[in-house]
Amino acid sequence: MKKPQIAADTRPWRDLDAKPFVRIRNVTKTFGEVYAVDDLSLDIYKGELFCLLGGSGSGKSTLLRMLAGFETVTAGSIEIDGQDMAQVPAYQRPVNMMFQSYALFPHMTVENNIAYGLKREGLPRDEIADRVAELLKLTRLENFARRKPHQLSGGQRQRVALARALAKRPKLLLLDEPLGALDKKLREETQYELVKIQETLGLTFVVVTHDQEEAMSLATRIGVMRDGKIAQIGEPQEIYEFPNSRFVADFIGSVNIFEGVVTEDEDDHIRIDSSSEAGCDIYVSHGVDCAPEQILWYAIRPEKMTLSRERPDGDANIAHGLVQDVAYLGDMSVFRIMLDSGKRIHVTRTNASRYDEDAISWDEKVYVSWASDAGAVLVA
Amino acid sequence: MNAGRDRTARRPWGFLSGGLRRVGISGHAAVLLAPTLWLAIFFILPLLIVFKISLSAFALGRPPYLPMFEWAADESLSITLHFSNFLFLLRDTLYVNAYINSLRIAAISTIISLLIAFPMAWYIARSDEKYRNLLLMLVILPFWTSFLLRVYAWMGFLSRNGIINNILMALGITDQPLTMLQTEGAVFVGIVYTYLPFMVLPLYTTLVKLDQSLIEASADLGARPFTTFRTVILPLSMPGVIAGSMLVFIPAIGEFVIPALLGGAETLMIGRVLWDEFFANRDWPVASAVAIVMLVILLIPILLLNSAQNAVVEKDA
Repeated sequence: MKKPQIAADTRPWRDLDAKPFVRIRNVTKTFGEVYAVDDLSLDIYKGELFCLLGGSGSGKSTLLRMLAGFETVTAGSIEIDGQDMAQVPAYQRPVNMMFQSYALFPHMTVENNIAYGLKREGLPRDEIADRVAELLKLTRLENFARRKPHQLSGGQRQRVALARALAKRPKLLLLDEPLGALDKKLREETQYELVKIQETLGLTFVVVTHDQEEAMSLATRIGVMRDGKIAQIGEPQEIYEFPNSRFVADFIGSVNIFEGVVTEDEDDHIRIDSSSEAGCDIYVSHGVDCAPEQILWYAIRPEKMTLSRERPDGDANIAHGLVQDVAYLGDMSVFRIMLDSGKRIHVTRTNASRYDEDAISWDEKVYVSWASDAGAVLVA
Repeated sequence: MNAGRDRTARRPWGFLSGGLRRVGISGHAAVLLAPTLWLAIFFILPLLIVFKISLSAFALGRPPYLPMFEWAADESLSITLHFSNFLFLLRDTLYVNAYINSLRIAAISTIISLLIAFPMAWYIARSDEKYRNLLLMLVILPFWTSFLLRVYAWMGFLSRNGIINNILMALGITDQPLTMLQTEGAVFVGIVYTYLPFMVLPLYTTLVKLDQSLIEASADLGARPFTTFRTVILPLSMPGVIAGSMLVFIPAIGEFVIPALLGGAETLMIGRVLWDEFFANRDWPVASAVAIVMLVILLIPILLLNSAQNAVVEKDA
């Protein structure tokens, strides 16, 4: 597997000597008996757009609130830019937050909302005015400066919240579900805007989201959270193509998972007997840290599987089943296939041509096959 | 309109609204009619009578004032308006002082109530949802006993050999009993104690709606707690502050029982003057004039607060 070579300075997490900007060390947060965040350690580097991805109750928002200083840390330490944050109250942290609800001050104009943090710094009047004008331009809100938040649309409010959070030029910007309240079209637009702003200003963003698509398109790295712990940290592609557990594989994108038993364990390949689920052997063309007779799982993405009416050559990675349903999505079609073993899987196919007379359709018997390096072997 | 008529026909009380509509009264107007009638009979009409009496001259007799309208022998109607009662109020410093005193005591009581009620309302609004109703009930609890009884109880606390003096002397803090009853301070205690719930409740309703994330956002942008209070919490709780202040200030001006029982001879409030004019002097015209002037004085702060509240509501709308 070839990986693109990118200079280490744009990916500081690959450089073992790089000094992290945010250091979260064994942080635990309990609410009564409940562990919201459980012994979590995480390094975030300068200039990163780090996404904390997880379902509700995974502890991602609690972690963000601890970074902002709204929640105290039960155990462990948080360091931002080399400074321990334990004794630093929220109003003195070099951190700003964009709230999920935006939390715009309803009694202030857009202008005053953006200027709020600058006024607290005691900056001179004309400097504040300059900075506000600059931010209004950046977020394309020039014409709304004197409006109150309730006179704005959802997308405009989102931009005010962003401008207000950026006003103090924080070293670290925390964004809690920044696009959650926007509709799909606006979300896609705003997504790229966010990345652009983050790159031009050279800021460090930590974004909390439950939307894996949002995380994939925004993040330099993603931390998948589950039960107050980090399930996996990695670049979007890493998380998608090389998940480390069934949970991560299933949480990010859609996936088919086959359970099986190792029958051959060699340095350059392994063979898994998955007759009960895939209905065939699975051949993996690289070594895996496992033992014969071990039960493990093979996760393969729907777009990495091929459908055919004729049986392809080979003695492994060929399943057989019945097309139960085809969902036409425009750019691609999703085939729901019931394998002979009774397991249901999804296979997607790009709709490369506009009209295919001979397309595979409902109630057809098909062979499903995949390359020997197409899936990930999971032991957990 | 037709559909509406069809629907009412099927209702059991349809005949009622139908009947009302036949004489030109819609259901909507009928709903408004009851309170309007109530106000007219029990507020506007008595007010007009009081106003009329205030423009009459005092007389010994029953009623103790001269009639305003007289049908003279030459078949002319003479209307006599005596403005002397109002002029008398201006000329005699007793009345002017009583008005100023009432306004001052009511204003100070309102401010003290606000200072006590705000933290209370804040605490209740920020406490766990399951305790909020209990705490609110505790605030209203004093209303379960008679108001008069509670003011008497304060006399027991504040009198020369009352509970507070006994405790202070037992602890050796003072060797002489302090004079607390029949002072202006006792009046403040009485008014603040009595009207505090009226301040707490409207403050609570605005504070409980205050979005916690606004406070966090303010802190996040570098505002110290007091700055957050000044720039975010206070402006957003103005509707409650105004409503609560009106509910305390307005009844406190006309308060009679509390200054009579807890206050001394020097705490002269307008309620006391009114009582004396009406019952002791039996001078109904002057008493009526006192009442009318008080109403006018009360109207000014009501209108001011009302317009302030409208401004706040508009801002939030």
